[in-house]
Amino acid sequence: MLGPWVEKYRPQTLDDVVGQKHIVGSLKKYVDQGSMPNLMFTGPAGVGKTTSALALVKAILGDYWRQNFLELNASDARGIDTVRTNIKNFCRLKPVGAPFRIIFLDEVDNMTKDAQHALRREMEMYTKTASFILSCNYSSKIIDPIQSRCAIFRFAPIKAEEIAERLKYIAEAEGCDYEEEAINTIVLFGEGDMRKSVNMLQSAASTGSITEDHVYEVVTKAKPQEIKQMVDAALRGKFMESRNILRDVMILQGTSGEDMVNQIYQDVSARVMDGKMSGEVYMELIGAIADTDFRIREGANPRIQLEALLAKFL
Amino acid sequence: MLWVDKYRPKTFSEVVGNNKQKKVIEDWLEAWQNGNPQKPLLLIGPAGTGKTTIAHIIANEFSEHIELNASDKRSHDLLMSTIGESASTRSLFGENRKLIIMDEVDGIHGTNDRGGTKALNKIIKESKQPIVMMANDFYSSKLTTMKKNCQVIKMDKIRAPTINKFLRDVVLKNEEIEVDPDVLLKLSKRSSGDLRSAINTLQALVENGGELTEETLDITGQKDNTASVIDTVTRVLKSTNPINVKRSLRENNEDPTLVMEYIAENIPREYENNKEIKDAYEMISQADLYFGRARSSRNYGYWRYASDFMGPGVALSKKQTYKKFTRVTGPMAFSLMGRSRGQRALRDRIASKMEEKMHISLQVAYTVFPYFEIMFEDDVTAWEISDFLELEDDEIKRFRKKKIPKKVCTAMEKVKAEMREEEKEEWRNSIKQGIYANIPNQNDLSDDNSLVNDEYDAGMTIKDDFNDISDDELDAIASEFSLDNSKSKLNKNKKDKSKDNNKNNEDELIEEKPKEEKLEKGQTTLFSF
Repeated sequence: MLGPWVEKYRPQTLDDVVGQKHIVGSLKKYVDQGSMPNLMFTGPAGVGKTTSALALVKAILGDYWRQNFLELNASDARGIDTVRTNIKNFCRLKPVGAPFRIIFLDEVDNMTKDAQHALRREMEMYTKTASFILSCNYSSKIIDPIQSRCAIFRFAPIKAEEIAERLKYIAEAEGCDYEEEAINTIVLFGEGDMRKSVNMLQSAASTGSITEDHVYEVVTKAKPQEIKQMVDAALRGKFMESRNILRDVMILQGTSGEDMVNQIYQDVSARVMDGKMSGEVYMELIGAIADTDFRIREGANPRIQLEALLAKFL
Repeated sequence: MLWVDKYRPKTFSEVVGNNKQKKVIEDWLEAWQNGNPQKPLLLIGPAGTGKTTIAHIIANEFSEHIELNASDKRSHDLLMSTIGESASTRSLFGENRKLIIMDEVDGIHGTNDRGGTKALNKIIKESKQPIVMMANDFYSSKLTTMKKNCQVIKMDKIRAPTINKFLRDVVLKNEEIEVDPDVLLKLSKRSSGDLRSAINTLQALVENGGELTEETLDITGQKDNTASVIDTVTRVLKSTNPINVKRSLRENNEDPTLVMEYIAENIPREYENNKEIKDAYEMISQADLYFGRARSSRNYGYWRYASDFMGPGVALSKKQTYKKFTRVTGPMAFSLMGRSRGQRALRDRIASKMEEKMHISLQVAYTVFPYFEIMFEDDVTAWEISDFLELEDDEIKRFRKKKIPKKVCTAMEKVKAEMREEEKEEWRNSIKQGIYANIPNQNDLSDDNSLVNDEYDAGMTIKDDFNDISDDELDAIASEFSLDNSKSKLNKNKKDKSKDNNKNNEDELIEEKPKEEKLEKGQTTLFSF
């Protein structure tokens, strides 16, 4: 199979899953038993939640996993009605060639409370024929009744050595030479996120060779410069300029309010770490960012809130 | 008697305004009367535009009708028991249709009418009877599913001259009352497209010998709806008098969140001091927060706080009034959204392909875009990824300006074809091995042929000479393997095996091919029952 390396080298079996040894151990027990409870995988992006889920599904459902497996992305502008009908139609059918059916719901924390309650009903109704695997970034955003119906597995960021090892494996399998330093740099900027790391590796490889310089090039190119420019403009007192950048990023690139808050937070943190911002200013800005984050989660309009946040940077 | 009831139109021709919509509705009704079932009708529009009137005119055309409105509780169970049954059944005899009228469907309450929207959607889908529904808010989230399954008619506000004509030529003529035409026109204009309110106001003023003058019109305290968004925004930004600002906001009839967007857009265009912008935007932020809370809690009482934050709050954030002319600009975020529609659609098309093939959400997909931009600089990588995601040419262009060179494409197609061939070979081998691995086991399981189905046996004996077995039959045998859950088939397997033993390797290879293909087909049929 060709295609992006993240897919090409996605581990297919539980044994191949990188890191998460404890979790994989427990999951393998389910495979041995041939049954599993409802599961919830929580943890940051790119630590193997989806990969583990897919590997588990293949192992436990055997050859006919495709026919007995439903993958739904809860976060993507799909109404609860769609999710519900899909689940219902899927659960109603008898498992074929496998002991039960499995539904994998990604990013459940982005579902509204109402939708989560609806999901909870579905989970109760089809306990005999179907098991659920839910994945989310923060289990705190999941309503209690769902949490209590699941065995919860917390995925930690993958360790640096493990990522490095995997990156080297991929580079070798692709027949690419690499500098040791380049791998270390990727691991550093990858922040325990395997997807990001592998994407960086392939990006560097596609610019010619996997050298430290190329990796830095990738990091600068791939990192949205706009956030820095936006914060710069606001701190310089150029509100209109800053606001225009914000709108471009959110509307054209589709960056979510939550991601914007994260990136602004990181940008501001970096400034104080580099000694480019005083502690007092920093704390004032953090207060404003925290407020904005909270208000967005309270159901306010993210763009308006972020515009107001930029005004506070003036 | 209320004039609104007295002069309520009884036929379509009497209904004023919305002529195009009327035509569509009449066609809908005619189709039903000709025994031609139609999608439910969903009339959406502001108050006083004739929704209820039309629904009742339709009702007159049917022998029976049921009506439910906001004052009735409309929970799931209740809806299903009252109208759910009548909707999905129909009379055995004759064309007896039962019309169902549901008013204010966007007002179905989230908690009190639990499951109401869901039940309604179900009824809409399954209904065999004509349904007419009315709603006010075109953009209500409750209507999203409904709108897909209904014939949606958007009712427009009634134009002032039309209202004026109706009041003059129908109501006043009939009541034999004369009023000043100028004042009447003013009244018509002030009703802002709401005919019912216009009639009510008129009745209140002139019935029992009252006289309609401009003064009495003002006294009724009828809302002056003519304040435009531009006026309101100018007032908020220029004035520091909370009373004027509040009044201007109250007189404004637009969607308050839109007014807020207008104010926010123009704050930095009017205010020059950064501290003012900061304070004013904090007020906008608060207003927005309360709009959000109103939405999520359905407690629209919060709107008044939002209105105060975005009005007097913003107005009082400035320390000075600017003596300059600022052209009020529409929200640029909206125009950006309009301009970038194509670009965003392209982005989302790519992202949903990634979602499907890479098991990631749209939001995560967007974060991968920058990496793709770098990877796509390399021709081969670009081809590989495009091929994997099945990207179209315009989608590839999102990541690289140049087309992928033809040479690279043809070379890669070849590589891919070879890989596919290899994969096939592997697949074949594994199937072959899989089949053989199974057989000894099954031999051990049972040597007892007594369970073998007679019919089967008869069928097989004819084919006793294995060398004569045709490809088709081999296929059939192969497909049985994939099932291999029936005891009677064990016999077959055995025979198959003995046949294979009799043959040399070359023959096997030739025969395996059709088998393997059939096996795949066998699988598909397996899952279709």
